[in-house]
Amino acid sequence: MSRLETIISELSSISNNPRKAMEDYKKETGKGSVGVMPYYAPEEIIHAAGFLPVGIWGGQKSISKARAYLPPFACSIMQSVMEMQLEGVYDDLEAVLFPVPCDTLKCLSQKWKGTSPVIVFTHPQNRKLEAANKFLAEEYRLVREKLQTILNVKITDEALNQSIETYNENRKAMREFTDLAANYPQIIDPKKRHAIIKARFFMEKSKHTAMVKELNSELKSLPVEAFTGKKVVLTGIMAEPNEVLDILKDNGFAVVADDLAQESRLFRNDVPSGTDPLYRLAKWWQEFDGCSLATDAKKSRGPMMMDMVKGSKADAVVVCMMKFCDPEEFDYPIYYRQFEEAGIKSLFIEIDLETTSFEQTKTRVQSFSEML
Amino acid sequence: MFTMGIDIGSSSSKVVILEDGVNIIAGEVIQIGTGSTGPKRVLDEALSKVGLKLEDMAKIIATGYGRSSVEEAHKQISEISCQAKGVFFLVPSAKLIIDIGGQDVKAIRLDSKGGVKQFFMNDKCAAGTGRFLDVMSRVLEVNLDEMAEYDARATEPATVSSTCTVFAESEVISQLSNGVAKENIIAGVHQSVASKACGLAYRCGVEEDIVMCGGVAKDLGVVRAISKELKKPVIVAPNPQITAALGAAIFAFEEVRGANI
Repeated sequence: MSRLETIISELSSISNNPRKAMEDYKKETGKGSVGVMPYYAPEEIIHAAGFLPVGIWGGQKSISKARAYLPPFACSIMQSVMEMQLEGVYDDLEAVLFPVPCDTLKCLSQKWKGTSPVIVFTHPQNRKLEAANKFLAEEYRLVREKLQTILNVKITDEALNQSIETYNENRKAMREFTDLAANYPQIIDPKKRHAIIKARFFMEKSKHTAMVKELNSELKSLPVEAFTGKKVVLTGIMAEPNEVLDILKDNGFAVVADDLAQESRLFRNDVPSGTDPLYRLAKWWQEFDGCSLATDAKKSRGPMMMDMVKGSKADAVVVCMMKFCDPEEFDYPIYYRQFEEAGIKSLFIEIDLETTSFEQTKTRVQSFSEML
Repeated sequence: MFTMGIDIGSSSSKVVILEDGVNIIAGEVIQIGTGSTGPKRVLDEALSKVGLKLEDMAKIIATGYGRSSVEEAHKQISEISCQAKGVFFLVPSAKLIIDIGGQDVKAIRLDSKGGVKQFFMNDKCAAGTGRFLDVMSRVLEVNLDEMAEYDARATEPATVSSTCTVFAESEVISQLSNGVAKENIIAGVHQSVASKACGLAYRCGVEEDIVMCGGVAKDLGVVRAISKELKKPVIVAPNPQITAALGAAIFAFEEVRGANI
């Protein structure tokens, strides 16, 4: 196995087994893990405490117990998170950081069924005012205080600024990786691309950065080969389960860029420079655009994606619509119209973590491939 | 030269044999679909009708939900591409196709050459599909092929949910027990199917000519309801259940000849 294959295999293994990653971290450092619910929580504060931030993104499973607590039209990701809460999957976490940028998260944050303490905070939605930065910095101050109490550690400004730099370095390496992956679709297929990105939710970030940098360097040493398939940009919350990515691959698609909340939206912007770390983290939210969960009066998501399509020389966009995610559903008609006017082809597929049948997705993807 | 298109759907199996890319010499339908004896039976029926053998086919293309299970086929093409090809062959003025089959509803917008410009499919839900009509037909004790006649006699269509087949079935049962006329309930059922299909059509972009195909297109009550909702005429494709199989047979012909008709 080449070094490149080894790195991909290791990152894929971590991505598929978060529990082992948590156990390994505990053995290595003696410290535990803190869960991070979607979306856009300041993981850096957990990192600065020396604990492992672990992304909570649900998983592919059938839902039964969660039905007692959630309406059937709660989004698929939260259905599976609730199911796993009830199964005690998250009870080993020292705490759970819980942002609430949508109605479902707001309600779910008030009925956490696990045993770990939950720290809820709010992103301001009137984001472009200076007051929003001050508000969010204050929210983060409270998050830091609560974490200090729960974890019994002091989180200094110095440590926090250092963690921000560690995360920015990871973001930079990830941007380079996604750019490189677009040139090597024969090696970095959609599933591998996703696994390499997802591993960052379960690893201490500097370790992930080191592996991704090595991966980038290995990729760069290889010749770029012509790709005869079609290139697409993915947009939405997430592109899971893996069967969806396999269907894309089987129909000759390569993912050359993404606008997914679980992937590039997290690392396309760095946390800006400055001295007050909490203000810096707050400012990231103000500068962040192009997400249905962050109010944007200018609705810049469509133009941003069109630039992405142009920049990555993509043939089309695949809309990965999280089932029952109303913020994403509300955005769709706006950017769909913009795509139509610009002559950009798009495919709509539904993302449902509970599903085990993918025939409809296969038909849609195959038809789209024939259409392009 | 003979080519064959096989469309294996969720509730029916269809075969078209095409001569020289233009003459439909066989178009057979059996009302059971993938995973049943339907695919083999319809294939045998079509061949025996015209006295041909599988070996006489220059190429065979399969489409539909069960397309990957057709061992006789040389290739599989999605039913969306095949519907577009088949409908455009029969109705060259088509710009929007509404295809309602056993478990899928699709709106397909065509470009001026009959290529697929955009398409939308229903979510994983039986509401608005042929299966929905099957369920209602059973509850109402009215045969599927009689539903359009009942609908034509309706005076005040009932309201029937388009969200969920199970909810809609309960609604229909309670309306029956409240003494609502079957004619009005059936008109409500047709409106329910139409609202689901038209939602996809609106998303796709409504442009005339609008052509309906799939098994449900044989129910003129649904066709009328769709036309009323869209406020535009709707053309029913000739023999609407075999259009995807026809498209597959045309694709097969084009691939053998290496050129468009």
